[in-house]
Amino acid sequence: MQEHIDLDQKQVNETLLKDVVGTPRWWLPAVGFLGMVFLAGVGAFGYLLNKGVGVWGQNRPVFWAFDMTNFVFWIGISHAGIMISAILRLTQAEWRRPVTRAAEVLTVFSLTAALMAAPLTHTGRPWRSWLWIFPYDFERGVWPNVRSAFVWDPSAVMTYLTASTLFVIIALLPDLAVIRDRTTGMRQKIYGFLCLGWRGTPRQWKLQAVAGILLSALVLPVFVSVHSIVSWDFAVQIGVEGWHSTIFAPYFIIGAIHSGVSAVATVMVLMVWLFKWDKVLRPDHFDAIGRLLIIVATVWFFAFFLEWVFALYTLEKPELVLRELQVFKMPYMPLFLTFLVTAFFFPVPLWLFKNVRRSLFWMFVTTISVNIGMWLERFLIIVPGIIRRQPTEFNWGSYHPSIIEILILTATFAWVAMGMLVFAKVFPLVPLFDIKEGMVGRHVIKIGRKIVPASIRE
Amino acid sequence: MHSNGHSAHEGQAALATAAAVQQNLQQRHEKSGNMFRLAVLFSAGLLVLGVIGFILRIADGVSDTAMWGYYAAAFAFVLSTAVAAPMVAIAPRIAKAHWRRPISRIAELFGIVGIFNLLLFIPLIWVLPPLDNGRRTLWFFDMVGEPVPNYSPHIWATLAILALAAVGVMLLWVSALPDFAALRDRTTGRKQKMYAWLARGWYGTTQQWHMQKHRLGILGAFYFMMFIFVHFLITVDFLMALVPGWIDALYPVTHAASALQAGAASVIIVMVILRQWGGYKEYIGLDQFWGLGKLLFALSLLWIWFWFSSFNIFWFGRKPNEISVLELFIKGPYLPLFYAVFVLSFAFPLFFMIWNPIRKSIWGPTVLAVGVLIGIFLDRIRMYVAGYSVADQSPLHAMDHVPVANKPDIADIFILFGAIGGSILIYLLASRLIPIVSIWEQKELLLYKLHKPFHRTHVRVMGKPD
Amino acid sequence: MMPKMQFKRSVIGLFQPGSEDTVADSMDALKAGGYTEHEYELLTGTPYPEGTFGEAEPKHSLFRYPLIGAACGFIIGLILTSGTQLAYPLITGGKPVLSIPPMAIIMYEGTMLGAILFTVLGIIIESRLPRLFMGAYDTRITEGWIGVTVTTTEDRIGKAEEILRKSGAREVKRGWEKS
Repeated sequence: MQEHIDLDQKQVNETLLKDVVGTPRWWLPAVGFLGMVFLAGVGAFGYLLNKGVGVWGQNRPVFWAFDMTNFVFWIGISHAGIMISAILRLTQAEWRRPVTRAAEVLTVFSLTAALMAAPLTHTGRPWRSWLWIFPYDFERGVWPNVRSAFVWDPSAVMTYLTASTLFVIIALLPDLAVIRDRTTGMRQKIYGFLCLGWRGTPRQWKLQAVAGILLSALVLPVFVSVHSIVSWDFAVQIGVEGWHSTIFAPYFIIGAIHSGVSAVATVMVLMVWLFKWDKVLRPDHFDAIGRLLIIVATVWFFAFFLEWVFALYTLEKPELVLRELQVFKMPYMPLFLTFLVTAFFFPVPLWLFKNVRRSLFWMFVTTISVNIGMWLERFLIIVPGIIRRQPTEFNWGSYHPSIIEILILTATFAWVAMGMLVFAKVFPLVPLFDIKEGMVGRHVIKIGRKIVPASIRE
Repeated sequence: MHSNGHSAHEGQAALATAAAVQQNLQQRHEKSGNMFRLAVLFSAGLLVLGVIGFILRIADGVSDTAMWGYYAAAFAFVLSTAVAAPMVAIAPRIAKAHWRRPISRIAELFGIVGIFNLLLFIPLIWVLPPLDNGRRTLWFFDMVGEPVPNYSPHIWATLAILALAAVGVMLLWVSALPDFAALRDRTTGRKQKMYAWLARGWYGTTQQWHMQKHRLGILGAFYFMMFIFVHFLITVDFLMALVPGWIDALYPVTHAASALQAGAASVIIVMVILRQWGGYKEYIGLDQFWGLGKLLFALSLLWIWFWFSSFNIFWFGRKPNEISVLELFIKGPYLPLFYAVFVLSFAFPLFFMIWNPIRKSIWGPTVLAVGVLIGIFLDRIRMYVAGYSVADQSPLHAMDHVPVANKPDIADIFILFGAIGGSILIYLLASRLIPIVSIWEQKELLLYKLHKPFHRTHVRVMGKPD
Repeated sequence: MMPKMQFKRSVIGLFQPGSEDTVADSMDALKAGGYTEHEYELLTGTPYPEGTFGEAEPKHSLFRYPLIGAACGFIIGLILTSGTQLAYPLITGGKPVLSIPPMAIIMYEGTMLGAILFTVLGIIIESRLPRLFMGAYDTRITEGWIGVTVTTTEDRIGKAEEILRKSGAREVKRGWEKS
């Protein structure tokens, strides 16, 4: 099924580096605009720090809302990169080649967005957060509580951030050498320094290949642990109905993959639209990611189904009341319906059609839709769960997002978009050497009158 | 990995043409040795023991579920090994992985054991009490205001297992059609008539090949869905509901995932037997062991992830009913079994498969597969015997006390032997009828796999058709 | 390789894209001319299947690094989790001071982090990077041209240049190298 990319090495360089060596006209205005949105969020964040969390819309008992949703949402998106690049590398799927780096970079930026979104503010005094994470205070002998899920969380997220950043950097080395050879002066010096003097010997290529496999294999278990641990922020404790479920870890992981792979598809569409890489990102690639999404979405839906079935299976009154609130009561009813439609019932039937999978526009629409749904999914897990009145509750508030929270949310989107654009300006967003390797390894097998695409397997 | 490694593609030189493959595999299919007859006799003997054990058991009646724990474990063991094995053919076929070709029939043949599994299930319908003992069920007793029929779990699970067995047999049949046709063309007399009937008029037209490809895809997907559904129904209504206080949304998936691991292990065992003693060395090589070995490895990771996800929630939450569930299945009377399962299903496959020399060998995955099978056997005993030994349903949905370990008596041991012997027997007999290495898939491989020189080296070129 | 530090000359022969067989012949010629495998090197802009040019298979011991890293990470995780709990034995949530499941989570992350950091380090070391002296090089390598460099002493460089030229190099250039 893989159509071959029909370019030679020089053309690959030209196509993929034209916006690194030069600058597209829309780039500066776009980054400037996103930067302003981001700065507005930073301003809101500063106001929040100054005034305290009272400027949020939280009311007792809803202490977690928008910010936690954003956190889980962005951690979810960040699972895309490793999912795509590691699993597809390990299974030697040819269509991964143009996609891997964009996915990995998306991982890095969305992880930082997740860190910005919530956990800092929720520690109470954000400027002292690091004290809660790292062992500290030899003077008084007071140490962080390892038994708290909020200590597991930073250990996992920081491991993942370190690992995925290093993963990007290692795979970037050969491509930095290509830019070094295409630039002059100061830029050449900088790229020459960054690529560590890459020359392209068989040893270096071999290590690059082994590194891809080995790092994928090592990052995969980390990726699984990260969202599991995020889910355990909710699931381990028993106070909130709807949270104490054993399926949470796999449910969050598969949900993260669902939203993350969709986000990668969105980024792929944008890569074609913005950078005109239609020679590298063929309809076949969208077809392949669409098929993957059908499987992922179905597994996710099964996990969702199990979560619901076992919530009802308890036959516990508070649990049933919560489910009723989620589905039948305002304002959650329309949100729940939107969630189900946008995350599953709109996109998945469409993906069954080959024409949809091969259409940029429809892939863009459906994958954006999935992420709207997946954001709502997290919101519907968090807020209705804690809004229920507890037996010892005296204050019973509801929740409406405030402008500050909305500004911070938009800032995270601006941050990720801006980050990707700046990255694409400085580094190639499509791994050149991976594309070139695919071209070297490609073959065709002629069977009668049929030409079957083939590739070299080692 | 490097193409100079000779063992990765054994048998390429000798069987370069489709005709040679056809002839070679047909000859092998028609041969049967003394060892085969011995194996048939032995497994038939085990089955007889099982029938005796069953008669001893049924003499005590079906009112006490605790007595039937080992029987349920035997059923679950067959469900988790033989009935899971066809997935080894289905998943790589969907992924268009060529390495599956010599072993896909080995895996599909296990589909026929689904019939035996269905037979094993029938007594359990009587053993499981009706819903009026107040236990929870998937069919949400009393939820909608009106009580559901007392026998809902019994009915739905039976239908699901029946469907699973039927899809398994159909998958095997559709996959074997071209081979039946080939055997029809080579045999005479009554045998020819039988193969002609089985081949359903297969002549290899383009349309037939096209249809077969699509039917295999659809039946494969359907088998997978039924497989998951059956595990869901069995684990909830035939296990979880018996233990008050046990609500584990992940357990059906855990059960199914460990079954996939055991299914892969079963296929590895058959592979090694065929390779070492069956004369199929040219077909079943390192690639196949490597592929399935990686699967064992990946599923061992899944095992620990699922297990820990469940355990951590219960352990951290400390609800009394959940702690008593941990006490029953893990910390309590079955702790030695749990340790054994932990080592055999998780620790060994993980830590040994990390080492390249073990992973890329025939014996490494084989030994680990034996371990995985023992592991799943002990795991099913741990879960089902413990689950069935909890007698009383309390209105509070919590266990009053954790029962002591239920040791097997002679009838239980006979039943366990019989379940294993019966599965082996039906598999062996089916392999006489249907070639155990798929002839057409092997021939198709010749079209898509090339070894060709590439400047100064030789490379393996793999075609990926639509 | 060389007993004392000395400057060496290096030379690169450039071959057009698509001339893999010529490159392989040229490397054979260098071998026949008495150059060892340490002295000549192949430069390509893309990974080729191993042995395409008849080059020796590079040996590496990358697989050791993650194991060492994992062991280090595991030990650090163990000390960190158990040490802090023992140093500040505050019972929370009715769990024992040394609770294995939460400790296992953090030790797991430590193990993986150690393995990944060491692997990245290993990749850089085993790739023989960073490389301070580029020697003879040409920017067309990253455009699909194939380069064969010979790095050797002053007196042997002339012959190497000749072999490269004879065996079909489009262009031969010199550069400096330090050993």
